[in-house]
Amino acid sequence: MKSLIKPIDRRTFLKQMRGLACFAGASMLVPASLWAQNKMPDLAVVNGEIEPAVKKAVDMLGGMSRFVKTGSRVVIKPNMSFASGPERAANTHPLVVKALAQLCRQAGAGRVLVLDNPLAPAEQCIENSGIGAACSAIEKDMAQTVSDPSRFREVEISGAKSLKQTDVMREVLNADVLIAAPQAKSHSGAGVSLSMKGMMGLISNRRVMHRLDLHESIVDLASLLTPDLVVVDASRVLSSGGPGGPGTVLTPKTIIASADMVAADAYTVSSFEWYGSRYSADQIKHIRMAHQRGLGRMDIDKLKIGRATV
Amino acid sequence: MMFRRMTRAMCLAIFLVLLAGAGKIAASDLFLRMDPALTGLAGLAMRSLTWIWLPAVIVMASALLAGRIFCGYICPMGTTIDVADKCLAPAPKKQKASYAPSARLKYYILTFAAGAALCGVTFVYWAAPLSLITRFYGLVVYPVVLMIGDQAVTAFYPIASRMDLRTLMFLEIDPPRFATGFFVLLFFAAVFAAARISPRFWCRYLCPSGALLAILSRKPLIRRRVSPDCNQCGICVRNCPMAAIDPDAPEQARHEECIVCRQCESICPKNAVAFSADAATARRLHPSVSPARRQVIFSGIAGAATASVALTGLNVVARDLSEKGTVREARIIRPPGALPEPDFLEACVRCGQCMAACPTNTLQPVWFEAGLLGLFSPAVTPRRKYCDPECTACGNTCPTGAIQKIASAERTWAKIGTAVIYRQQCLAWEYKKSCMVCDEVCPYDALEFEKRPDLPYPVPHVKEDRCAGCGHCEHACPVYNQAAIVVTPMDAIRLRPGQSFEYAAKSRGFKLKKEPQDQKPASAAPAYPGADIPDGRAPQPPGMAPGFDEGG
Repeated sequence: MKSLIKPIDRRTFLKQMRGLACFAGASMLVPASLWAQNKMPDLAVVNGEIEPAVKKAVDMLGGMSRFVKTGSRVVIKPNMSFASGPERAANTHPLVVKALAQLCRQAGAGRVLVLDNPLAPAEQCIENSGIGAACSAIEKDMAQTVSDPSRFREVEISGAKSLKQTDVMREVLNADVLIAAPQAKSHSGAGVSLSMKGMMGLISNRRVMHRLDLHESIVDLASLLTPDLVVVDASRVLSSGGPGGPGTVLTPKTIIASADMVAADAYTVSSFEWYGSRYSADQIKHIRMAHQRGLGRMDIDKLKIGRATV
Repeated sequence: MMFRRMTRAMCLAIFLVLLAGAGKIAASDLFLRMDPALTGLAGLAMRSLTWIWLPAVIVMASALLAGRIFCGYICPMGTTIDVADKCLAPAPKKQKASYAPSARLKYYILTFAAGAALCGVTFVYWAAPLSLITRFYGLVVYPVVLMIGDQAVTAFYPIASRMDLRTLMFLEIDPPRFATGFFVLLFFAAVFAAARISPRFWCRYLCPSGALLAILSRKPLIRRRVSPDCNQCGICVRNCPMAAIDPDAPEQARHEECIVCRQCESICPKNAVAFSADAATARRLHPSVSPARRQVIFSGIAGAATASVALTGLNVVARDLSEKGTVREARIIRPPGALPEPDFLEACVRCGQCMAACPTNTLQPVWFEAGLLGLFSPAVTPRRKYCDPECTACGNTCPTGAIQKIASAERTWAKIGTAVIYRQQCLAWEYKKSCMVCDEVCPYDALEFEKRPDLPYPVPHVKEDRCAGCGHCEHACPVYNQAAIVVTPMDAIRLRPGQSFEYAAKSRGFKLKKEPQDQKPASAAPAYPGADIPDGRAPQPPGMAPGFDEGG
């Protein structure tokens, strides 16, 4: 595959990434200047029914229009890798995905796709997770799975320590906005599976990450695929037995949103019990490493947290 | 002629549609069950006579009525060979009119296979036309067609993405791949190349189903009859694809060789030929080519002898040789619902339809791994892909019931093997890496992870009573080459028809449910703190959840 990559491809890609970064940076600045006292929180934590909670959380961060502009091509990355329903808490709740897709539409998104590269048979994932049906209420064929290697493109990860290159879904590389909508769950390998770990659903060869240092390569991947917005679904939390379950399912009915993937993951780790015990965010190696590399902040006690109940 | 051409095209098309829909649509095994030799010999080997042979019985009855119309109109092998003949045969003028006694050879092939079948060994797959042609289209042509389709879809992807044509954008064709495909291709290359010797060489000289139908169509009710207008010009003799017309007396024909193509009728300048039940135009019957009694007996004995030698081979898996010092069964994982191995090998006609139907392409024909008697039989190859615990496609399409149809409620209980972990290969055990992919993909929750003081990351164990052998773990194992977790045929549940997989599994203590019975629904799940672990996993050592560390 390597020989097929032409320099022009990478240049184009880097240009896109630079554009994306500028765009994201600019969009951070605009609302900040509008809000006189910078009231916008770094993290929004909302308790309540799923759909209003998602909308409230995104609103607290400045509304979806902060992330999605008219005509933007959006990819939402939920967890829909398992052929099980919401009660098992291995997949993102369909209502979270639906609410996000709706907000993107309202913000004038040009194209909204809900994508994952599943482990279980694709049709069963789309169907059993309920995400397929929930999304088709908004637009037909919105939720899709991608597995064929030809639908991925090789990308170099500059500054990577373990995972120096990977194959990313073309539709993700073509997108303007990436929204992570992970299910909050335990993960016997990575400790937790949240927004950073979830990015493994957008690449082709995940196996190699287990032969490398899993945590380090998760951070490498997160440095390439950094979502503009993270909405963690903690309506139910798979506290043990993750990633696939079955395991203990907590029902805190919480939605956690942030533009900082590390902060969102860190807050989620410290907010719930895992295997019956409490942990701090720095006890997850990949969160710690991401913080150290400056991908985001895990020192949540220093962040501005907005709370609400709907 | 037009009628015949359309009938044959339609039959071939229906055959191909049924093959493409194998496992998904009803009666996808119809053509296979129409093959007289295939069903007759499989039935003989299985000692079974049930209604599933009905289509073949109807075909045989049709021979009494109108001769070998199955060969001339329905058989997809015959149609395919005719097409090949059109492309490869020498110009008609160069063809020699023959009336060869070697047409007897097919009878000996039939009796050879029958002799073996009497001993419970099936050789039908070397010769039965529907077994062969199903393998040809299913394992050779079908993958090539899908590969071309895949290339086309991939080439079109950038345009589809730009135009936001979602269905096309996300259409992924994963072309199946098959072991032994090249052998099947070479075999058919030889069959097609025989067109250089004579048209329908296979049908004339080799086909055992043709032989069986020939025996029944010596004097069919509707047959070729020649009126006195015949001037013995011999044009029909030269054009008969089956060499069924006597060169010295064109008004006479061997009806058992005639496939009722009616070429002679349409070509006759005198309009002297008719296919009718009308006895008025009948002439005396030409003596048939009878298989010589001595050779029939000899070929039957030869078949039985070959079968006996095969059955005493050391690599045989057909019989449970439980005495001391015998080699145990080969490590072949049979598809869910496969009969007990000896019955399975008797019943399986190696048509390959189960493999063509398998949506994950895990079913592959084996070479000699299962011994000589297991040649081309289907095996699950988890490293290629898992065997979906929801899927019953292979059993749905098996023409002989070698793979039973499993009710969907029973499917998850049809255990095909058990996974074992090779610790010296395992990333967690041996290489001290954080890996739990086998657990992640297991639909049966059959893996548990243990945190050990001497290892940095939790290490996997297989819960054998929960493992159904689906092979998700072996397929996904990130270790290259030899996977660190491998499905073996150990504890596979192989039942005779009519027995319950759920009952058999439960009585052996297996808990093979995709959603474990003791899983509580979310609403009933206890709120933390103090939530217990519901699925019977070993509790984690206090203080550290898997994947967490001391922090820093």
